[in-house]
Amino acid sequence: MENYLLAMAVFAGCYALMALGLNLIFGLAGMVNLGLVGFFAVGAYASALLTVKLHLPMLAGWAAAIALASLLGAAMALITARLRGDYLAIVTLGFSEVIRLAASNEIWLTNGTDGISAIPAPGRGVLSPLLFNLQFVVIVWAVVGLAAWALARLSAAPFGRVLRAIREDDMIAAVAGKRVLAFKVQAFALGAGLLGLAGALYAHFNAYIAPDGFQPLITIYVVLALTAGGTGTMRGAVLGAVLVIALTESTRFFGGVIPWLKPVQFAALREAAIGIALILVLYYRPDGIIPERITPQEPA
Amino acid sequence: MTLRLRRRTALLGSLAAPFISRLAAAQTGPIRLGTLTPQTGAGGPYGPPMVKTVQAVVADINAAGGVLGRKIELVSEDDETNPDSAVRAARKLIDVEKVSAIIGTWASAVTTAVAPLCWENKVMLFTVSGADSITKLPHNGYIIRTQPNTYLQSGMAAQFLAKSGAKSVFALSAQTPFAVDSYNRLAEVLAASGAKALGDVIYDPAKTSFRSEIDQALKTKPDALFLNSYTPDLAVILRELYRAGYEGKKFTYGYAANAKLIESVGAEVAEGLISFAPSPDLDSPSYARIKALLGNEPDPYSCQVYDHISLAALAIAKAGAATGSAIHDSVRAVGNRAGSKVTDAVAGLKLLAAGKEVNFEGASGPCKFTALGDIEGCRFRFDVAEKGKYRLLSLI
Repeated sequence: MENYLLAMAVFAGCYALMALGLNLIFGLAGMVNLGLVGFFAVGAYASALLTVKLHLPMLAGWAAAIALASLLGAAMALITARLRGDYLAIVTLGFSEVIRLAASNEIWLTNGTDGISAIPAPGRGVLSPLLFNLQFVVIVWAVVGLAAWALARLSAAPFGRVLRAIREDDMIAAVAGKRVLAFKVQAFALGAGLLGLAGALYAHFNAYIAPDGFQPLITIYVVLALTAGGTGTMRGAVLGAVLVIALTESTRFFGGVIPWLKPVQFAALREAAIGIALILVLYYRPDGIIPERITPQEPA
Repeated sequence: MTLRLRRRTALLGSLAAPFISRLAAAQTGPIRLGTLTPQTGAGGPYGPPMVKTVQAVVADINAAGGVLGRKIELVSEDDETNPDSAVRAARKLIDVEKVSAIIGTWASAVTTAVAPLCWENKVMLFTVSGADSITKLPHNGYIIRTQPNTYLQSGMAAQFLAKSGAKSVFALSAQTPFAVDSYNRLAEVLAASGAKALGDVIYDPAKTSFRSEIDQALKTKPDALFLNSYTPDLAVILRELYRAGYEGKKFTYGYAANAKLIESVGAEVAEGLISFAPSPDLDSPSYARIKALLGNEPDPYSCQVYDHISLAALAIAKAGAATGSAIHDSVRAVGNRAGSKVTDAVAGLKLLAAGKEVNFEGASGPCKFTALGDIEGCRFRFDVAEKGKYRLLSLI
């Protein structure tokens, strides 16, 4: 049981990191990003390929994952500079599907749909599974803590204020003399970097990645996590991610409690229960569990 | 105030109850086995009959007194046809439910994702996935697969072609991860049977015309064409072959030659197309049992999981222990060719309890495994398209 809980804590940490990345891009800067899982996949593949094929150390893989995802994020922000709302959502969704299809078809690089297995991680097979999982919980949650703290600082800083201004109305921000595009690119690149890092952590913990693992469902889970937790706040993003994993996983345990249900009925009921729980959260807390509070600055 | 506290404690206690009882039961008591099948997602149509079949076998075994005097307790999880969710479900099965075997992973990506968890924790994994790469993983014997791989399938196809009198075969293959392997095996077996593989053209299945590929194939004047295709490209190829007046044998995989194919090309164009597919053992009493249980012709996967659960139960009885490594050590010993043949777990368990050797042959076939965990052989069915319908040609 402890093993299982620790593993789930690692997955929750990866989701939390993604929710934080999304919070910067969407929560603060207001750019809809339904291509989360694409950046997540890029990070996962970058780190996995560098460590498996070129035998680089894991930290180098993680650095490359951040760099590559950031670069793609910046490019994405530039390409979509004139798109907003629904249009941006479609383009980013398309991006993540392109990444998944490229991973399925560029067999020379990604090993196609067979995926990449035996991705190394320190202590795998040497440490007991319990210690191995514990080690990853510490690493992942240290990264989440650091990222949440840094992003909270950034959000409170003038940089965060500009992003919120762009979110509310980029025309006004531009009229006030802010270089809107530059801010958007920075926010997108930084957020995408976190998504890439989440992918790298996930790949090394899981030891196996395949294109099928990067379905849009993960994007939906993370968007839900952020919305339920509280768009715009870092604590909300982390809380939401933990909530989503807790909800999807705890519902597994009620299968034995309702013995007359067939497994297929239970599977359907489980999905329904997750949906209803999130609807209830958003009904009673429309701004999320920890809503964003903007305190007006005292005039200097 | 005290009341509130008590209420909360009670609530927490009731929430924790299922977890605690599971932990206690894991050490002694019933034997715990898990299924990990697709109940939702792309594999959704296949998972429910698979679980139903496994549940029925478990019920039979328990009604007959269980294994080693212990009941089997089955825990069923949904892999959502998604490796990400499957890993979490497998972790629950292994870490929380303490199962000694996981049965029924369907998608190849799901199987590859959960396989390391299984071999690291010494849990046996029974799978119906087909990708050749699965049994090449460093699994130390913890994977058993009842679905024939590409190697076995192409070998069977080549044997059939040679036996049916084709002296020369040309292959047209859609670009897939298994196209090259498949052709190499075909050529190897044909050569061993005195026939010849003339060549292989790998094509992009998204193209709308295959004129140049077909010209290239027909120039070699083959007795038979091996069409390693999917339904849409096969339809185009068959039409062009018809137009070119080709009268030799046409041979393809069963998953490409379906009702939709005949619907789209018409009876005349499809006439004479031979297709082959791995088949359950249609004459086996186990097959009849599953058919009665599910109320229709069972799919190959239901037949395979019937054998998985039976093998697991027999291996536990043979080893005298219910751990994953016990199943790992004994799963081949219950298919002892010198033993008495049994087709269901209950009969096998009786013989094992009496100290006899058993030779389990299930619904999917003889269930004999190579060192890597692949089946050595299984039945194959060959169908021919005649007047717009498929007719069973032979079952070998």
